Amino acid sequence: MRTLIQALSLLLFSTFFIFATYKLPNWLPADIYLRLDPLLGINAVFAAREIIGRALWGIVTIGATLFFGRFFCAYVCPMGASIDFLDLLFFRKKKRQNLKTDSSFRKAKYFLLVLFITAALTGLSLAFLMDPMSLLTRFYTFFIYPLAITLINLILDLLRPLFQALGWVTLSHLYYFQSVYYMTAITLLIFGGIVALNRLVPRFWCRYLCPLGAFLSLISPLGLFKRQVNNDCNECLKCQKACPMGAIAEDPRGTRLPECIQCRTCAKVCPQHAITFPASLSIGGEYSKVDFSRRGFLYSLAGGLGVGFLAMQTPFALKQSKHPLIRPPGAIPETEFLRTCIRCGECMKSCLTNTLQPCLWESGFSGLWTPKMDPRLAPCDQNCNVCGKVCPTQAIRSLPMEEKTHAKVGTAVLRKEMCLVWAENKLCLICDEICPYNAIVFRPVEGYRRPVVIPSKCNGCGFCEQRCPVKGDSAIVVVPNGEIRLKEGSYIKEAKKLQLEFKPDAGDDKFILEESGFKIEEKKKRGKNIPPEEITQPKKPKGFL
Amino acid sequence: VDKDNRAMTRRKFLKTAAAGMALGLAGSPSFSFAKEEYDLAVISGEPAAATRKAIEALGGISQFVKKGQRVVLKPNMSFARTPDFSATTHPLVVATVAQACMEAGAQQVLVLDHTLQRAELCLERTGIREACKNIPGVHVLALQERKFFGETKIPQGKVLERVEVVKDILDGHVLINIPVAKSHSATGVSLGMKGLMGLIWDRESFHSQYNINQAIADLGTVIRPQLTILDATRALVSGGPGGPGEVKKPNLIIAGMDPVAVDSYGVSIVPWYGQNFKGRQVEHLLVAHQKGLGKIDIDQLKIFKEKV
Repeated sequence: MRTLIQALSLLLFSTFFIFATYKLPNWLPADIYLRLDPLLGINAVFAAREIIGRALWGIVTIGATLFFGRFFCAYVCPMGASIDFLDLLFFRKKKRQNLKTDSSFRKAKYFLLVLFITAALTGLSLAFLMDPMSLLTRFYTFFIYPLAITLINLILDLLRPLFQALGWVTLSHLYYFQSVYYMTAITLLIFGGIVALNRLVPRFWCRYLCPLGAFLSLISPLGLFKRQVNNDCNECLKCQKACPMGAIAEDPRGTRLPECIQCRTCAKVCPQHAITFPASLSIGGEYSKVDFSRRGFLYSLAGGLGVGFLAMQTPFALKQSKHPLIRPPGAIPETEFLRTCIRCGECMKSCLTNTLQPCLWESGFSGLWTPKMDPRLAPCDQNCNVCGKVCPTQAIRSLPMEEKTHAKVGTAVLRKEMCLVWAENKLCLICDEICPYNAIVFRPVEGYRRPVVIPSKCNGCGFCEQRCPVKGDSAIVVVPNGEIRLKEGSYIKEAKKLQLEFKPDAGDDKFILEESGFKIEEKKKRGKNIPPEEITQPKKPKGFL
Repeated sequence: VDKDNRAMTRRKFLKTAAAGMALGLAGSPSFSFAKEEYDLAVISGEPAAATRKAIEALGGISQFVKKGQRVVLKPNMSFARTPDFSATTHPLVVATVAQACMEAGAQQVLVLDHTLQRAELCLERTGIREACKNIPGVHVLALQERKFFGETKIPQGKVLERVEVVKDILDGHVLINIPVAKSHSATGVSLGMKGLMGLIWDRESFHSQYNINQAIADLGTVIRPQLTILDATRALVSGGPGGPGEVKKPNLIIAGMDPVAVDSYGVSIVPWYGQNFKGRQVEHLLVAHQKGLGKIDIDQLKIFKEKV
């Protein structure tokens, strides 16, 4: 029963994950699992020092835990489910003994919880490192999703000859866009490590490390349903061995309530049927104290402050106002953005073009895994606004299309010394051709028509940078200069104030003909092919003789 | 710019498509023009009706498509723009040709293009997938993966020796080119000849490595559509190829077997960038003509003109 619910929850999590694409309907909260995570919510609210609407969903989980105890870990948590299923796969037959240092290990998760919350209070968003929801979404984004696409495409490729022979046209041309990410390997290593720890004890992660588990276990003794053992107990200790959380004390009648996740495995294995889970208002017994030393508390507090200091007092922090990164459209101002973003990777999963990529050290420790645009890899599509829609903390604001169009992420800068037209007089026009906003126009300069960026029309989408045929670095690059980052209010209004215009208009080509002194040098070269009366016609657009 | 047309929705398109198709089916009994052969058919009218008429004027689609053959239609659906931008071929024109091919007994019709923008969006925004959705045997595909392209040699190429083209056109498919009429900031105009670049893998090299005008002509020696149907129901006369730009409404369908002749006529119908040009003044057309790919002087062509 529990396994079924767990599997369903994992399936639901995966389904929401799959739905996070540019076609996501507005009513569907693809990020719901992340919203329901109270630790991520607390982390973001504390770090940003602001109430975040979507983070309030965490109250639902807190409320449910106050009622049912720490059921979340056993039934809902997709990370717990993944760990359980992978445990079955890898370690089912391995003999595992409870760790001798069990009780001191248990404290670790509380220390981590205190550390993360303290760090959040200093303005450093750090919980993402070990929060299960963020961790798993990240793992899905950077590993499971690309892997799934690869496998599907592989199967399609293998079957393609068959499809062709059968004349199944659509299938024989079918393929899926392969998303790729910079930090896949690191993400896999971390997740792999977590699963490998299960070799030591079942649910090692949940018992000893998970800070969300720690948070829930603090309030779970208040829950209504509690394990109770009646006098039929013959102290066979089967329940103690079977408990995946090690929540059953030396005396099998006792329960460590903070650790109990209501999975009821003990009741199932008890040969005497002595274990029940009735409603009870008592708050714990001798085993239900959270074993958390004052010293440990102080250490983790200091740890949190220390990490906060390390992350904040760096040149990276001082340079935040001049940061070199192109952030997704709708990303709130950089400092607030770093504080609010929980690095779940959902924006990068949903990104239509794959331009959103995780940062490694580009903006220091406080910027790990935050999304940046990589315009050389892919542009930001003008028809898509999904990254904001799926952001569980609204570090990227969910914007209607029109607003998103005005959320300028940067400005394209043309590097004349590399541009094929400027430097080599070649007939290239790709940046102009692809620009969705008509922000690149050709103007006559020294006898040639050359591309010029109109900064007030450029919203930094990066199509030009991606398509530029120059090898290596693009001859036209998007820089963050001119980006609009608003915590609240309308981007359209702000753009108007700045006299920006992202509605492309047709009038720019007038430069092609009207500018005086416009000549096409090549005309002279090919002059002999042209009837004389046509040679005298001045000022022709490119491509015409 | 036509304000009303801008408000065209996909739903409207479907309705019009259905109506257009019905008109086409029910309308004009098949005159036989076989006796008098025309170089070009230039038909003025609504997209679907004019397209039907143009095909008919050239002797009917059965001149080009035989029973059991496989057909590739190459519209321009390279940009994720709605039809009112005139950066892509009108969906009704594509659907009408596809329908005609199936009626002529084609085994299947592939509507394909190597799109410049994300495939999914292009198929969606241009309205072409929607318009062809209910025609059995017609498949609309946007190809953005190299595995669907195969290399072919260009024996007559001057700058281009080999090129990777869509595999489907290499194995005996009938190819019908259905470009849209638009301006182009490197080649002046982008009509049928330029549109063939949508069937190759590496377009960037045309801009960066080769003289694009010569390369287009070279490409024209190996990709030879049996029929070109130029959709000039609207023409993007500036701001091309992607738009937005000034959209004029010549309301014309120009069809013919000679790709240079169709394009050359297409150049003459509207002023481009506010200036009148002849086909001979468009460099890639001139080079193609000199390579023997077709006639360029439209006063020497036999043209069937009609209004429907």
